[in-house]
Amino acid sequence: MLVIRRRPGEAICVGEDVEIEIIECGPNRVKLGVRAPRQVAVWRAEVSATRAQNIAAAGWAHSGHGAAPGGVPARWTAKSRVVPLVRGSRE
Amino acid sequence: MTIQTIHFGRLEIEDEETILFPQGLPGFEECRRFVPLHRAEVPGLVFLQSLEQPGLCFVAVVVRPLWPEYELWLSGEDREVLGLDGEGEGDLADDVVALAVLSFTEGEPPTANLLAPVAICWGTRRALQAVRRDERYSLREPLPAMEEASCS
Repeated sequence: MLVIRRRPGEAICVGEDVEIEIIECGPNRVKLGVRAPRQVAVWRAEVSATRAQNIAAAGWAHSGHGAAPGGVPARWTAKSRVVPLVRGSRE
Repeated sequence: MTIQTIHFGRLEIEDEETILFPQGLPGFEECRRFVPLHRAEVPGLVFLQSLEQPGLCFVAVVVRPLWPEYELWLSGEDREVLGLDGEGEGDLADDVVALAVLSFTEGEPPTANLLAPVAICWGTRRALQAVRRDERYSLREPLPAMEEASCS
């Protein structure tokens, strides 16, 4: 693994098109800015497991389970919410 | 507008029935617009049909009825993506719904992704997959009382 020391305001480049800038440095967290072409996906590392799971989840259509039977489904809108949800927590 | 879907055929939908994932979903970054569909006979089950890909349709469950203690976790960045101003958590409760995407494996019961629920904000019609940073829930949580949920 390449290890580089950088200060806020400095940046590193990955290949020709990707630049990662250190915007802010706190005691526990670093704020990074990533400049990359639109087709380059930039995700937090924990998101990559989610990616694999999403691809698996989308595969039901091709698994022989076939389409959901029963004709055209209705739109699911705010009105058809079963139960209102959930609070978020702040960072 | 009219959209083609593989599972539901041709659908006539209104613009205000669609939701936008400004960042797409991991693995499907290019798919930004979805229409949530449901069937009255299967309450709590939601089909997230892509407008861009006729064959892409996630099956999800509304989190709250199945996991009443579940708390959606949204970072400040997540709130910005959803278009929330960060004020008033009471409003958030009414306006944001969490869905868990289901996975189906042949011969096994379906599982729900509670590590990365899909959060939809009705007010802005924006959505994202909000990956938790704790380890309380996994990508493949067993479903509690699935029979109840699908037969009621």
